[in-house]
Amino acid sequence: MLSVNALLAVCLSYVAILFIIAFIVDRRTRRGHIGWLHSPVIYTLSISVYCTSWTFYGAVGSAARNGLEFVTIYLGPTLVFVGWWWLLRKLVRIGRAHRITSIADLISSRYGKSPSLAVVVTVIAVIATTPYIALQLQSVTRSYQLIAGQVDVVATAFWIATGMAIFTILFGTRNLDANERHHGVVAAIALEAIVKLFALIAVGVFATYGIADGFGDVFADVSEKMIQGSGEIFGPRWAVLTFLSASAIICLPRQFQVTVVENIEERHLSTASWLFPLYLFGMTLFIMPIAIVGLKVMPTGSNPDLFVLTLPFAQQQEELALLAFLGGFSSATSMVIVAAIAVSTMVSNHIVMPIAMRLLAANHAVSGDVRSLLLTSRRISIAAILGLGFLYFWISGGSDALAAIGLIAFVGVAQFLPSLIGGIFWRGATRAGALSGLLIGFVLWAYTLFLPSFGGDFVLSASVLSNGPWGIDSLRPQSLLGLVGFDPLVHAVVWSVGANFLTFLVVSSLTSPDDLERLQGAQFINVFKTAGGAPTGFASGSADSEDLFILAQRILGANPARRLFDEMAREQGSHSGLPHPTDTVIARLERELAGSIGGASAHAMVTRIAGHQTVGITELIDIADETQQLIETSRKLSEKSAEHKRTAQQLRDVNERLRALDAQKDDFLSQVSHELRTPMTSIRSFSEILMDEENISSEERNRFVAIIHEESKRLTRLLDELLDVSRLEAGSVDLKLVAVNAKKALSQAMNSVFGVTQDAGVTVETTPTPRGLMLHANSDRLRQVLINVLSNAVKYNQSKNPRINVEVHVLGDDVHINIIDNGGGVRRDEAAMIFDKFARGSKSEHSQGAGLGLPISRAIMRAMNGDLTVEFLPGGASYFRLSLKRHDEAFSLGEWSI
Amino acid sequence: MTDRAVLQRSYRKARDRSMALLLVGIVLLTPPVVGVSLIDGKIAGIPVPLFYIFIVWALLIAGTALLSRRLTNDEPLDESNEIDDT
Repeated sequence: MLSVNALLAVCLSYVAILFIIAFIVDRRTRRGHIGWLHSPVIYTLSISVYCTSWTFYGAVGSAARNGLEFVTIYLGPTLVFVGWWWLLRKLVRIGRAHRITSIADLISSRYGKSPSLAVVVTVIAVIATTPYIALQLQSVTRSYQLIAGQVDVVATAFWIATGMAIFTILFGTRNLDANERHHGVVAAIALEAIVKLFALIAVGVFATYGIADGFGDVFADVSEKMIQGSGEIFGPRWAVLTFLSASAIICLPRQFQVTVVENIEERHLSTASWLFPLYLFGMTLFIMPIAIVGLKVMPTGSNPDLFVLTLPFAQQQEELALLAFLGGFSSATSMVIVAAIAVSTMVSNHIVMPIAMRLLAANHAVSGDVRSLLLTSRRISIAAILGLGFLYFWISGGSDALAAIGLIAFVGVAQFLPSLIGGIFWRGATRAGALSGLLIGFVLWAYTLFLPSFGGDFVLSASVLSNGPWGIDSLRPQSLLGLVGFDPLVHAVVWSVGANFLTFLVVSSLTSPDDLERLQGAQFINVFKTAGGAPTGFASGSADSEDLFILAQRILGANPARRLFDEMAREQGSHSGLPHPTDTVIARLERELAGSIGGASAHAMVTRIAGHQTVGITELIDIADETQQLIETSRKLSEKSAEHKRTAQQLRDVNERLRALDAQKDDFLSQVSHELRTPMTSIRSFSEILMDEENISSEERNRFVAIIHEESKRLTRLLDELLDVSRLEAGSVDLKLVAVNAKKALSQAMNSVFGVTQDAGVTVETTPTPRGLMLHANSDRLRQVLINVLSNAVKYNQSKNPRINVEVHVLGDDVHINIIDNGGGVRRDEAAMIFDKFARGSKSEHSQGAGLGLPISRAIMRAMNGDLTVEFLPGGASYFRLSLKRHDEAFSLGEWSI
Repeated sequence: MTDRAVLQRSYRKARDRSMALLLVGIVLLTPPVVGVSLIDGKIAGIPVPLFYIFIVWALLIAGTALLSRRLTNDEPLDESNEIDDT
């Protein structure tokens, strides 16, 4: 027999190894070396915290009593992981995107960061977890007792609980990790996962090949009853147990902690999807053989719940027994540690912190460090939960009633399932629905399963159990409303989960979510569509960066808060000081804080500073509404196709213009040759006369020479103008644009045409006189345009009392100079064509101009960033408008040349 | 077909297979179908119900392992999310 001291030494050194591993890993990760810990295998091993001592020892006991039924506890999780892509992946993504710290946080965040919902979930979790912890204490003490002989059970349990509390506090609350991850703890429980798997397989191999002679021998004379248990094995209980274990792998606080919260990388989940079922497969492979061999070999009446330990012990395999003990110890401790972390996070974030916040808010002078308050509350919560577990164990006296607590806890946490699944898949789920469903489910669970499990010793007396309260038979806890003949577990599940689900469904459909709920719901449901935490766009208002910074410092600690704010300031483009409290900053801060204290508390704290929340309905729609997103997408699509159409149309237009230009070019060439030929012809013919005719009078000769001279001059002028217009249009003329006094430019132009106006008897008026108005133009060229337009107005004015009105209008930066004559102007149909080269209006049949004046004028105006256009008065009369830019400093500073 | 479309089709296929695997697994491991295995007999020295459950279980694990690699990354972008101008 192993000596107590040797056993104690092994235990203590094992615990010491766990401490050292947790310590080393914690230190390494703090320095940024995650290394081998960053592996999907570690992640998978940490999920195996599912296998507690209840499964380590209890599965064999269950197999011995009920045959194959124990497998359901592993089949449910297997199915959940087979379908990981559909549910777990979404949970993990939501957990990462919204910095979820616990299942209470997830449910409360989904339903509008509701504090009351968080409290309800936390309370259920505590009530379901505490007896479970007691069960682990019991199994460790029992196994210890079994090896060490007579020991003080209560003292042993106390010291075990204390040791676990120290470990959990040490490594579970060393710092407030922004993501609530505990690398040291994960490493330790991964090691424990290996130990328990190895131990169980070792015992199994020993039973199968050491005691029996292989599988064939084990099952050689096994009875049908051994496989099937006492009742109908593949009945409702089988289905209900599979459902319960499937929901437990999602809803148990410790499972949520390791699967969602401690997830370092999302792709680890895809490995865990088959590796974790494989682990479970390994854990169960030898359960049946151990049970069968145990029943055969062990004396009748020995407890099958401890076969894993007693079988090697009875065979004098002390090392193997020790290994089995360590396996059971590992199963128990890893469960207790993770459960304590998970539940204490909930208690601290959702119960202690809100109260502390209220106290702090009442007294603003208290500028206590929230961070240390938070750590303290976390530590006290851990100690309190382990203390409760120990107390439960002590009071229940380690009775066998505890063995049933595993499944009772499963049913308890299964109450989270409707709100959780509904919340992440169903947009219509509301807070009222979740809250009422949870409460009804919780009450029915307590009434039909939890309280009866005390066998009449607690709250419900034995007479209530057998006869119903006040003797009302139909209210009997284990056959509610006369539902008799069911297994108590099936009965409780049907009632509590069923009523929970239906209430959730009905109340949700009768109520409507408020804005924040709708926003959160949409973000959770569409977590794969909204790219990595889009700004939630609320809580705007009178936030003060200073206050937010102080808040962040208190919760995250001085340095992390400084880093966060620096980063946010940098993102806003400022290199020093605090970031502006924009919606993005506030939402980001809230997310970061949520990683430490949970969504509801973070929301309450931030909104307290940032002013009351205002969720704009437009923002809601923009950010998250799925239909709106669809509409948006289809709108973008149609926009795209419209754009394609537009582009095609533009291409056609350009092509059309090119054709027109080509035709114009031909026209232009023929026009030019025509215009050139007229003077050339007269020059040639007169020079021929001068050459051939001998007897021409000197008078005639002089006249002919004068004509030749005149025509050459006209030719030169024509060529000059042509050159000018083509250069202007090609943009190769560098017009120097300076400030030009509008009044001066106008009067100079008037003076130049004075002779012409005088001869035609035209009166010219300028209204209003543009005093001090400076134009951005080239003075000479502007004068050229003014003279051209004015002389046109004079030339083509057929009125008896010709008058020209020059109006100057300033419209912001634009200046319009309207030259209005009472001669009727050009016809509407001519307006477009008078700017063509060599074109002449209907009134100019007899004019001598080459028809280049207006095209040149327009080219000049355009070169000065203006234009020359024909405008129409309401009556149909037309006038010319010169548009120009006002001169301001910006223009003169920049380089404005064409 | 573009590379992305091929990738996307293979991803969707894997996703559909994972759903099929899940549904088949649920049907095979819950009543009434699981009751079919309740035969008094042995395969390779192992009682039929036990053998049946462990074989189905092992196949589920293998199927999930095969699919998990193809489902590891995010879904390739949907064509309609991004229209490349041609």
